[in-house]
Amino acid sequence: MVESLFPSIENTGESSRRKKPRISETAEAEIEARRVNEESLKRWKTNRVQQIYACKLVEALRRVRQRSSTTSNNETDKLVSGAAREIRDTADRVLAASARGTTRWSRAILASRVRAKLKKHRKAKKSTGNCKSRKGLTETNRIKLPAVERKLKILGRLVPGCRKVSVPNLLDEATDYIAALEMQVQAMEALAELLTAAAPRTTLTGT
Amino acid sequence: MDLTQGFGARSGVVGPVTGLESLNFSDEFRHLVATMPPENTGGSFTALLEMPVTQAMELLHFTDSSSSQARTVTGDIAPTTLHPFGALTFPSNSLLLDRAARFSVIATEHNGNISGETANSLQSNSGANLDRVKAEPAETDSMVENQNQNYSSGKRKEREKKVKSSTNKTKSSVESDKLPYVHVRARRGQATDNHSLAERARREKINARMKLLQELVPGCDKIQGTALVLDEIINHVQSLQRQVEMLSMRLAAVNPRVDFNLDSILASEVSMN
Repeated sequence: MVESLFPSIENTGESSRRKKPRISETAEAEIEARRVNEESLKRWKTNRVQQIYACKLVEALRRVRQRSSTTSNNETDKLVSGAAREIRDTADRVLAASARGTTRWSRAILASRVRAKLKKHRKAKKSTGNCKSRKGLTETNRIKLPAVERKLKILGRLVPGCRKVSVPNLLDEATDYIAALEMQVQAMEALAELLTAAAPRTTLTGT
Repeated sequence: MDLTQGFGARSGVVGPVTGLESLNFSDEFRHLVATMPPENTGGSFTALLEMPVTQAMELLHFTDSSSSQARTVTGDIAPTTLHPFGALTFPSNSLLLDRAARFSVIATEHNGNISGETANSLQSNSGANLDRVKAEPAETDSMVENQNQNYSSGKRKEREKKVKSSTNKTKSSVESDKLPYVHVRARRGQATDNHSLAERARREKINARMKLLQELVPGCDKIQGTALVLDEIINHVQSLQRQVEMLSMRLAAVNPRVDFNLDSILASEVSMN
């Protein structure tokens, strides 16, 4: 590794020292970042099967519950959108659960469910109003943040639970989040394909 | 001397057939001991280092030739072959004799174990021993040098950290397990403030992570500049999130119609993947 490079660098003369450590310094930072990230990326590629199973099981349960609850609803649009939201939340939660709590966004997703339930019982409207007013104030106060920092803030808002996170951690979280999202998309697509393929069969045989 | 006693013991162990050869050895070595008073100097390998290689080889070939010829049991060999060694001065005889003893023991053992064995095996032994002999001084050399280098490198690093800015420095930030602190040296032509060094380390970290993100997001390799890359990343995340929403809608639309047979679904899913 890079540490083993350094004894050899020490031995060589001053002239060669100028060239090599430059490369090794950035390489070392890269290697550190890579070590963390490649593990997480590979994780999202190998645990796919488990994710699919988990997603499916939970979604099946949800569907059953939704069905029973939607018998009371009349409009089909509401049904679909409500069901869609629920399915997406379920999928996100399963995704977060499969992250095993190592990443910030996964913990935020799992925690947000608890917070949402609490908010429902308490005064939800007032809290959302406060948020909006706060946003307006902050935007008018600052003239223009540097473009990169602005974008980092936007990215922080996109990744759940990463608004006040430091920049390198934010980038780490974003990397893992992107890998997880890609896996989620692939899994859900496969599932959707399966179900749509299965649907004509069952509808023909069923009703 | 212990060595000669060891020889005597070994010669006793080997057996009557080989006893003559071992006797020759012990005789020769006793002669050696008699001519040159043993000097116990530190017991390092420097003895062999100081000794020229040719003499070492001579010594080994002496044991080799003597062992091969020992079968003929010519006591004449012993005094004649001693002559080259008479002129030599061994700085630490004890070590030398120890080594020669080891080689001779190997030779005698080979002689004793394999009766039909020719001098080839012995030569290979001596060759291996030669390699060992040559390797060991080389090893000690490298060991000593490494130690020196480690000490000097540590000192150098310390010095460099304390010294103020100069243009001819080079930079490396290391977090090594061996030494307890981070070594940071300034790059050529750049300041060596603690602040700027820390900033530089921080920037390197951020840049490394940005590179990884670039590799992850398709189409970011060609783009130059952090802002545009971040734009792409944000777009990618948003598109993925929208895809998830679309798929969830699809699933919601499909689901009420499907009659749920979990086992069949699972089985077909497994076959797909």
